[in-house]
Amino acid sequence: MKKLLAILLIATLCMSTIVGCGKKKEEDKDTTSNLESENTSGDKKEEAKEPTHIKIWYETQEAIAEELQKELDKLAPEIVVSVERKEKLTETLKLVGNDPSSAPDMYFFAHDKIGIFAEMGILSPITNFIPESTFDDFIPMTVSAATYKDQIYQLPIYFESLLFMYNKALMKEAPRTTDDLLAYMEANTKDGNYGFVEQHSTAYFTVGWIHAYDGFVINDKAEPGLDLKETKDAIKYHKQFVKYMPIDGDYNTMTTLFKEGKAHSTIGGPWLIPDLVENGIDIGIAPMPVVNETLKAISPFAGIQGICVLKGAESKKEAVAKVLEQLSKPDIGINLAKAIGSAPVNNNCYEDDAVKSNEIVMTLKKASATAVPMPNVPEMDVMWAITENLLSSVNKGDADPVTASDEAQKKALEQIEAMK
Amino acid sequence: MKKRGYKKIIPYIYSFPGLALIGLMIVFPILYTGYISLTNMNVYHWFDFQVIGFQNYMKALFVLDTGFLTAFGRTIIWTIVNMVLQMVIAFIIASLLNVEGLRLKGLYKTILMFPWAMPGYISILLWKMGMFNTEFGLLNHWLNKLGFANVHWLNSNNIAFASSVMVNLWLALPFMIMIIDGALQSIDKAYYESATIEGAGYFSKARKITIPLLRPIIAPAVVITIFTTFKQFDIIYLLTQQQGSKTGADIHTIITYTYEKAFVTNNYGYSSAISIIIFMILIIFSLTIRGRLKGGDVDA
Repeated sequence: MKKLLAILLIATLCMSTIVGCGKKKEEDKDTTSNLESENTSGDKKEEAKEPTHIKIWYETQEAIAEELQKELDKLAPEIVVSVERKEKLTETLKLVGNDPSSAPDMYFFAHDKIGIFAEMGILSPITNFIPESTFDDFIPMTVSAATYKDQIYQLPIYFESLLFMYNKALMKEAPRTTDDLLAYMEANTKDGNYGFVEQHSTAYFTVGWIHAYDGFVINDKAEPGLDLKETKDAIKYHKQFVKYMPIDGDYNTMTTLFKEGKAHSTIGGPWLIPDLVENGIDIGIAPMPVVNETLKAISPFAGIQGICVLKGAESKKEAVAKVLEQLSKPDIGINLAKAIGSAPVNNNCYEDDAVKSNEIVMTLKKASATAVPMPNVPEMDVMWAITENLLSSVNKGDADPVTASDEAQKKALEQIEAMK
Repeated sequence: MKKRGYKKIIPYIYSFPGLALIGLMIVFPILYTGYISLTNMNVYHWFDFQVIGFQNYMKALFVLDTGFLTAFGRTIIWTIVNMVLQMVIAFIIASLLNVEGLRLKGLYKTILMFPWAMPGYISILLWKMGMFNTEFGLLNHWLNKLGFANVHWLNSNNIAFASSVMVNLWLALPFMIMIIDGALQSIDKAYYESATIEGAGYFSKARKITIPLLRPIIAPAVVITIFTTFKQFDIIYLLTQQQGSKTGADIHTIITYTYEKAFVTNNYGYSSAISIIIFMILIIFSLTIRGRLKGGDVDA
């Protein structure tokens, strides 16, 4: 009896390990038969019977995926697009990017990973599928964001940046300059209430201040700029504001303070707005305060979300081209603006009344003139941690901005060397 | 003859699936990491990497700037401090749990097991947000009520180190308490009775009977805990180094240091070399402390 039980258990163990492999073989068979049918059948009628399958991965809000699916369903029945959610999208692409049977044909993500994936050799330039003239109507900043080493790798669809938000019930008028903001914070920060809160020691948020001084974290030649006089001045100036904010400066604390009406204003992304509206906050959006010393507004990073094509999809060139063409039309931009309040990259979308009347979208459009896209060079990956360490040590740990910046620049150069 | 040979093979056949699984999930990744550490796999050679020999090791060992050595020293201190505190506190608590006639023993044991049952990641984040937060955390709330100013629990190196030790103890004590509790119950009461007859007090009993008899029983658990503490990544990382909420304290241990320097660069060849070096350090460590913890005889 015992022997029989032992044998049964071993058999189950072996079966379960084989079953996993079995499924993969079936998937391989499916994709190869698809490719075969495309290559061998030259007759258009026969191709129409065999629809081309395109898979697009995404990791963002469901609402966006729904709009994409709706838009691309218009291409049925010749082209069947399935928009699928993939957790840990970028990590998975690093693993399977060069394997056409496991990788998707396209993916929807922010533009900052373009550099890494292009260097890994898994991306196909968009201009292989659609002409460059498609980008003529796009906001120029978004096209340069999608370009790496003079090749365009992404079809931008919408962009997002940070906004200056204030609680209309607590703050009558948003300050125009940063000195005004500092004075406001001094007068209004007491008893657990704060005039202004932000994630003061994260690279993504502080970069807006650095750009206002004409400094930068890293440029498109992959040169870090942490020891520039401009960057140091920005960090020194910004430190005064940290005094009037909770020292931890993390996302949860700051958002909760603003949501519960304990903070009069904040800098945050448009993604916060649905939650704030639900909490009954009367949100006002204002242009970013201008730094008195440089007369430039706080210019945060912009993230451009769009579609990239993987090398493996080159065998389905025509289908991919049609998908990209469909998404370069104004429709998707307008629908997304209506659904989630995102700012489309296509200038033609701004003719639409629904878009024109959306305050947030129009503020973002104005900001796009000064917003700086996140660097898409692979070297940016190491800059996040280094910049954040620098800011934390200065804002939370009393380090001297000048020496800390010089050290951070040294570390950045070391890390960039270590990447090679 | 054939039957005898067959009988010899049967145990291997039975253990083969288990061994294959262990080989696949434990041995293979280590060997593969070793292989990658000899290549130049990084962002620029992601799929087309080539074997480059020991260059990554040279880089790891010679660019051993003071950061790495400081982190290594700090990891040793971290392990020693945590182990000593864990064993002392767990011994005291387990002894208290084994006091004669203690009521609600089951309830106490269940409550003491809670930290172990909660997912580590969530517990650590709750400590960070709920307890250590400077303006809104519970600890500062209590301190304020008692009239003290806010303490920055995670912003300066020494206090952040102490806070991390606190969280590690909170997470690791249940395991130690359980082991020592079980070990205490297995000690023959006859030893204590004859010691009482000969006039031994509590501390003499503990020193000369309990501890020597405990040693062989808790030795494996202690070795496991030493390794787990040495490799502890979650606590230091989530409390002080998490992207988006760094606290300004630099209390890198060898593993968090490796993560930030090597893994973030996506240079897998280099990171694998450092991982193998840490692996070797742990192996040497385990060989040197093997046998040190074996006790077993009662001191007369």
